[in-house]
Amino acid sequence: MVNENLVKDVVKEPYKYGFVTDIESEKIEKGLNEDIIKLISQKKEEPKFLLDFRLKAFKKWQKMKEPDWAALGYKKIDYQDIIYYSAPKQKEKISSLDEVDPKLLETFDKLGIPLTEQKKLTNVAVDAVFDSVSIATTFREELAEHGVIFCSISEAVKDHADLIEKYLGTVVPASDNYFAALNSAVFSDGSFVYIPKGVTCPMDLSSYFRINSGDSGQFERTLIIAEESSSVSYLEGCTAPMFDTNTLHAAVVELIALDDASIKYSTVQNWYAGDEEGIGGIFNFVTKRGKCLGKRSKISWSQVETGSAITWKYPSCLLLGEESVGEFYSVALTNNLQQADTGTKMIHIGPKTKSTIVSKGISAGNSKNSYRGLVKIGTKATGSRNYSQCDSMLIGDQASANTFPYIKSQQSNSEIEHEASTCRISEDQLFYLQSRGIEFEEAVSMMVSGFCRDVFNQLPMEFAAEADKLLALKLEGSVG
Amino acid sequence: MEIIEKIKTNKSIDNQTEIQKICLNKLQSSPLPNPKSEQWRLSNKSKLSTLLDYSVNEKDSKFDIPYPKNSQSTIRLVIGDNCQINLVEENYSINQLSEDKLVKYIKEQISCFDQNENWSDLLNLSLNSTKNTLGFKVSGSEIPPIEIFSHASSNSLNAKTLIIFLEKNCDIDLLQVNLGKDNSSLSQSTFLCLEENSSVNHGVVSYGENKSNLLNSLNVIQQKNSKYNLGSLHFKFNYARFEIRIKQSEGNARTNIKGMQITKKDEQISTYTKIEFNGPNGFLDQINKSLADDKSHAIFEGSIIVPKIAQRTDASQLSRNLLLSNLAQIDTKPQLEIIADDVKCKHGATISQLNEEELFYMRTRGITLVEASKLQLSSYFQEIISFIPVSKDRWDLLDKLLNEN
Repeated sequence: MVNENLVKDVVKEPYKYGFVTDIESEKIEKGLNEDIIKLISQKKEEPKFLLDFRLKAFKKWQKMKEPDWAALGYKKIDYQDIIYYSAPKQKEKISSLDEVDPKLLETFDKLGIPLTEQKKLTNVAVDAVFDSVSIATTFREELAEHGVIFCSISEAVKDHADLIEKYLGTVVPASDNYFAALNSAVFSDGSFVYIPKGVTCPMDLSSYFRINSGDSGQFERTLIIAEESSSVSYLEGCTAPMFDTNTLHAAVVELIALDDASIKYSTVQNWYAGDEEGIGGIFNFVTKRGKCLGKRSKISWSQVETGSAITWKYPSCLLLGEESVGEFYSVALTNNLQQADTGTKMIHIGPKTKSTIVSKGISAGNSKNSYRGLVKIGTKATGSRNYSQCDSMLIGDQASANTFPYIKSQQSNSEIEHEASTCRISEDQLFYLQSRGIEFEEAVSMMVSGFCRDVFNQLPMEFAAEADKLLALKLEGSVG
Repeated sequence: MEIIEKIKTNKSIDNQTEIQKICLNKLQSSPLPNPKSEQWRLSNKSKLSTLLDYSVNEKDSKFDIPYPKNSQSTIRLVIGDNCQINLVEENYSINQLSEDKLVKYIKEQISCFDQNENWSDLLNLSLNSTKNTLGFKVSGSEIPPIEIFSHASSNSLNAKTLIIFLEKNCDIDLLQVNLGKDNSSLSQSTFLCLEENSSVNHGVVSYGENKSNLLNSLNVIQQKNSKYNLGSLHFKFNYARFEIRIKQSEGNARTNIKGMQITKKDEQISTYTKIEFNGPNGFLDQINKSLADDKSHAIFEGSIIVPKIAQRTDASQLSRNLLLSNLAQIDTKPQLEIIADDVKCKHGATISQLNEEELFYMRTRGITLVEASKLQLSSYFQEIISFIPVSKDRWDLLDKLLNEN
C-alpha cells in the first residue's frame, strides 16, 4: 500500500500568486441596479447601443433564477454585496507603457507576465487586465502591421464600434443563462481580437486576468473574430490574491470563426482556490462558446483548470458551417475542498461536422470533480462524427469523481462514440518507478503528467510546461 | 389532481388498503412527477398523460398465453384473479407470502421511496388491490423455471405487483412477460429480494399492441454473494418506461444486465437504471441496446453509484444505439458517481447506423440489402435475446423481432 504518512509529510507549497498589490483604486459603491449599470457605462464612455444591451441583459437577469443543477454546493451569493467596478487609479490616457504605474508593472512581473516590451523574445502579445480594467496591451504596432486588432474591449467599443455592435452577444446571447446575463449587464473589460481575412496571426495573443480587490467581482468579456482563412492562437491566464472571502468571477467568451478560419483558445486557470478548510477562493462561473460559422472552420478549446473554489464552466462549440471542427481538451484538477463541474457542449448543426472531446479529471483531498458534457447531432448534420473520452483519476478515498455525459442524436447518418473510465494511481507502476530510484513524489507527478499528456500535447509549449509544473505543485502533499 | 381523482373513483377504494392510503397520501402532495427532474425530463408529457387516461380496471379479460408450455415442470402464473401458489416438493418449496408479510415489506420499501424516482411504484401501489398482487418465497434447490405473466386489458389501466423473496442458496430461472392490449396501460412493479448465495436468471419481455402503454418498475436488493442476471426486451409500445433499481446491499455481489428496446412509428421507450453499491467488491456488467426507427424516440439513462464504502468495485456500462431514420431520435446518458478510490469503473456509449462496409460485403456475395440488414440486426439482437432465460428456445423472439423490423 502507498504510505500515506510519507506523502502527508511533504511540505505544502503555498499559493504563490496570493499577494495583494497595494495600489490606490477607484471603486464604485456595492450593489447592483440600473443606476450602477448606467454608471459603469458612463465611466467607460460607451455608445448608446451598449448601454441598451446592458440594461436589457439586466432586466432579463432579474427575471432569471440561479441554476442549481450542477453537482456543486456553495453558500448563496449575495449579488448586492459585490462591487461591480474597480480600477486602479492612473492617468487618463496612456500613450506608452512607461506611463503605467510601476506598481502594476511590478505585479505582472511578479506573476511572470512580460509587459515590458524589451521582453520581445517571448513573442507573445499580452493584454493585462487588472480587476475591472485593461492595463496594457503589448506588441500593438507589430500586430497592426498585419491588420490584427488586439486591444481591450473598452477600446474596441470606442475604436471599432461597428464590429462590437455586429458581433457582441451573437454567440452568447444576454439571455443565455443566469451568469451570462449578469456579465452582459456589468462587464467591465476584457480582450478583443480581430484577425482579418487571410492573416495568420504572427504571434500568440495572450490575456492575463488578475483580481486584486477582495470585494469586487470580475466580469470580463472576450470577443475573438477570425475572418475567412485566418488563424490565431490565444492564451489566457488567471490568478488572484488570497482572501478569506469568496470573490465572484463571471466571464463570457465569444469566438467566431468564418470560412476556413481557425481559433485555438488555451486557458490555464489558477484562481485562488481557498485554503485547506475551504475558506475563501474564487467562485468561477464562466460561459465560453465558439461559433464555427464558416465552412471548414475550426475552434479548439484547451484548458487546465487547477484553481477556484467553485468552477462552473462548459466551453462549447456550435458547429454550423459544413465540415467545421470543434475540439475540447481539458485537465481539471481539484484538491482540498474545491468543487468543479466542468465539461463541454458540442452542438452539431451543419453537415459533416466533427468534434473531439478529451477530458481528464483528477480529484484529490475532499474535492468533487464532475465532467458534464453534451453532444447533440441535429437533423441536418449528416455524416457528422463525435469522439469523447473522459477519464477520471481519484487520489485518496475522500474525493469524488462524477461523469454526466448527455448524448442526443437526431441524424441516422452520424456516429457518436463516448468512453469514460475511472481509476486511481496504479500501485504497480508506482512500485516500478520507485524501484528504479525515483522518489515517490516525483513518480506520482510523472504518472499524473502521463495521465494528462493527451491534453498537454494540445497546449502551446510554454503553457504545457507551466501546466505540468502547476499540477505537480497542486498535488504536493495530497497523495496518499 | 386528475390522477388522484381517478384513483379515488376506483371501485375498490371503498375498502382502501393501508398501502393504498400511504401511497395516495404521498401522491396527493405532488400527483405527477416533476417534468424537470432528470428522470422525467425527456419523457413525452402527452404520452404519459394518455397512459393515465384509461379508467382503472380491477377485472382482467380472458388472457391467452402467447406461446405453449414445453415442459410440465415449468411453473406458470398469471398475476390477477385467483392467482395463488403453494408448492412443497421434495427439494424445494414455493410459498405464498402472507398478507402481513407483504404489507410489512412494501411499507419498508415505501419508506425509502423518492417521489420522482419511485413515482411509477407509488402509482402502482396506490392503484393496486391485494388481488392483483402476487408475492411468494422460494427456497430449496432444483427449482423448475417460473414464468409470470402480467397483462392489461383493452381500454383500461391495470396495475400488477410482484414480490419474490429468494432464500439462501436458492437458484432460479424466472421469466416475466408483460403484455399490453390495444389501447391499454399496464403498470407493473416488481420487487425481488435475493438472500446470500442465491442466484436469479431473470428475463423481462414486454411487448404491446396498437397504442399500449407500460410503466415497468423493477426493484432488486442483492445480499452478499448473490448473483443477478437480467435480460430484458421492450418493444411495440406507444409509451413504455422501464426503471431498474438494483442495490447491492453489502457489496460482494454480481450483477449482469443486458437490455434492449426497439422503437418504431412515433413510439417512445425509455430505460432508466440505477445501480448502487453499498459494500465492497461489487461487480456490474451492463449493456443496453436501443434501436430507433421512423419518428420514434429511444432513451437510456443509467447511473452507477459507488460510495466510499464500495472499494474494489468493478463496474462497466455500455450503451449501444442504432438510429435508423432521420426523424427518429436517441438520447443516452450513462453516468458515474464515484467516491471510493480503489475502483475500476468505465462506461461507453455509441450511436451509429448499420455498418455500411458489412452490408456491402454481404451484397457482393449476392445477399440482398434487406437480407443483409436483417442479418446485421439479428446479430445485434442475438446478444440480448440469448441472455433471456426460459423461453428463448421455443418462443422465437428473434424471428418475431426481425419480422417486426
